[in-house]
Parts: sequence; structure tokens; C-alpha cells
Amino acid sequence: MDSRLLGLILVFAPLSLFSFGGGQAVVADIQYQTVEVHGWLTNQQFTDLYAVSRAAPGPSTLIAALIGWQVYGFVGAVVACLAIYIPSSIVVYGATSWWHKNEKSPWRTAIEKGLGPVAVGLIFAGMLAVLRAAHIVEPGNVNYLGLATVIGAGALLYLTKISPYLLIGIVAVLYASLQFLPL
Amino acid sequence: MLEHPSEPQSRISLLALLGLFLHIGLTSFGGSTMAWMHREIVEKRKLLDDQSFMTGLTIAQILPGANPVNLALYLGMQARGKLGAVVAVFGIVLPAFCVILLMGYLYRTLSGYDTTHVVLGGIAAAGVGATLAMGVKLARRVMVRVIPIAIALLTFVVVGILQWPLVPVVIVLVPLSILQAYYLNRKRGDG
Repeated sequence: MDSRLLGLILVFAPLSLFSFGGGQAVVADIQYQTVEVHGWLTNQQFTDLYAVSRAAPGPSTLIAALIGWQVYGFVGAVVACLAIYIPSSIVVYGATSWWHKNEKSPWRTAIEKGLGPVAVGLIFAGMLAVLRAAHIVEPGNVNYLGLATVIGAGALLYLTKISPYLLIGIVAVLYASLQFLPL
Repeated sequence: MLEHPSEPQSRISLLALLGLFLHIGLTSFGGSTMAWMHREIVEKRKLLDDQSFMTGLTIAQILPGANPVNLALYLGMQARGKLGAVVAVFGIVLPAFCVILLMGYLYRTLSGYDTTHVVLGGIAAAGVGATLAMGVKLARRVMVRVIPIAIALLTFVVVGILQWPLVPVVIVLVPLSILQAYYLNRKRGDG
């Protein structure tokens, strides 16, 4: 097998097992592995693909398919997609069987409670990785427009029931029009 | 067939199950996927009841993997066992996979223009905003005691700021976190 295809499997299959709550938990490591370790993408390309994956419907783990395509075309997209879903699916399958056989186990509650804090820590770590890759917050430099967008969008989504697609549309139009304003 | 205490309330053919999940995958966008599944599977088709849907929702959320994909797997498994699980996951992922590749193609066609990167930069920032909102909501549910707060902060600092590799960090922290939850529960149960 081509070493780049194997590389895709070796990056995404292990991360699959740690993608608690979906792609957001492992986005920090996806950025690190694909940009810093393997050099498949530049930071710019990573940020762009991340944005495409957030604008697209469906799970954010599908960023794996976009990176796979970038690395090895359509086959790469399929392989990366299988690598990010098969390991976690096997775990869920096994757990579903176990779950039904152990309704009263104290471990069940412990697992539920124990995974939460790690997932929260990983979600915020993933945020920081994207902020860095997108040059919004990095050592010695803060992009205030970007930071304002993060906080504004976050507050709107937290406090209101605004559709994510309406929000993404507004941000896209806003940024595109800023491009053409003589500032 | 798997041994489940909760047998499906009505049978569905594998082909119909595939059609059902393709339909859900096509019509649902973003965070509403799981709501669509509830509407189609529990309310309309009555393949499962609310209780077992909620169990699936919990399993889907706490285990690794995309939540809607995990929930589809659980529901497919409840409805038609192993093959049902495979069919449901395939059905839920395929439409999203096609759409994202189409958008990736558009990106490659448009990536020569500066405006593309600026707009995508804005969308990425909004995406981080969505993650921020979700993170704060989950944090409020999880971080009510000292040890969970410490574990969440430690995870964030080590992976986010120090940029240690995620896999070994999680392998150490997850068992620790589960163990402390287990003993805390037991102590509370005894007292």
C-alpha cells in the first residue's frame, strides 16, 4: 500500500478512538499531525478545510475526508473516512451490547461521569489549535476581528436558537464585504 | 440477532432501514441530526420507544466518534442487529460525505482568490464560536466538583497549551477520571 494511504490510516484510526463528542476533541491533534508532523497541508489549507467542514452538514469528523482527498484524491477521502469511523463504531457496538447487559452496574455511571471532564478539556484544546492555525490568537499577535467573530458567534449560539447556517451565511457576507471596502 | 432486553417494537427490512437513514442523512443539517432521528425512528416509525432512544443518546455522546453516527449505529443495531448497524451508519454518512467532497471541490476551484481565504477564515472563526458555545454548555454540566474541574483543566493545559500528543494523555487521564468517579459514587452510596 502507498505510504501516504497508510499514513492516513495511522493518523485517523487511533484518533477515532479518542474523538469523544466528535471531531472537536481531536482537531488539535489532526492539525498537529497533518501540518506539523506529515506536512500534508499548510496552516492556511488546514484552516480552510476546517472552515469547509464546519460549513458542511454532517459530523465535523468528516474533515478527515477532506484531508484524505487533499493527500490522495478520492481513494484517500474514502480511506480516511473509514479510518475515522470504523474504530469508534466497533467500540460503540461493543459498548451497546455491554450497556444492555449491565443496567445496574456502578461502572456505568462512573464511565458516564468520568469521560465528561476529559471531553471538555479536549474540546477547549481543539479550539486553541484552530485559533492558532487560523492566526487568530498566537504568541505575540491577536487578530481582533477574528476574536470578535469567535466570541460574538459563540454568544449568539449559546444564548439564542439561531440557525448555524444563517450565522455562517452572515459571517461569510460580512467578511466578503469587508474585503471590498476601501479601509 | 443480538440478545437485547428491549426488543424492537416493530420490524423493518434492511433496505427500508437503509432508505430511512439515507433520508435522515440528506435532510438533517448540523446539530439537528439527532432530533431528526428521534422524529423519524421513534415518533413516526415507532421502531423504538423514548427510553431506549435516550439510552442510545447517552452512549452516542460519551463514547468516541461523531454523535449522530454513533446514534445511527445504536438505532440500526436495535432495529436489525449487526447488519442494521452497518446499514444505518452507511446511510447516515454517505450523503454528508458526498456533500463535503462537493464543497471541497468548490474550495479547490476557488482557492486561487484571496477573498476565498478571508471568507473561510471568518467561517472558521464562527466554527470556533460554535465549539465555544458547546464547550461552555458541557462544562457547566460536568464541572461541578473540584476533581472533575482539575481533570478538565489538566487536559486542556497539557493538550492545548503544551501541545503534548493527545493519545497517551487520554490513555492516562480517562481511566483516572473514571476511577475517581467510581470511588466518589461508592463513598456517596455508603454514607
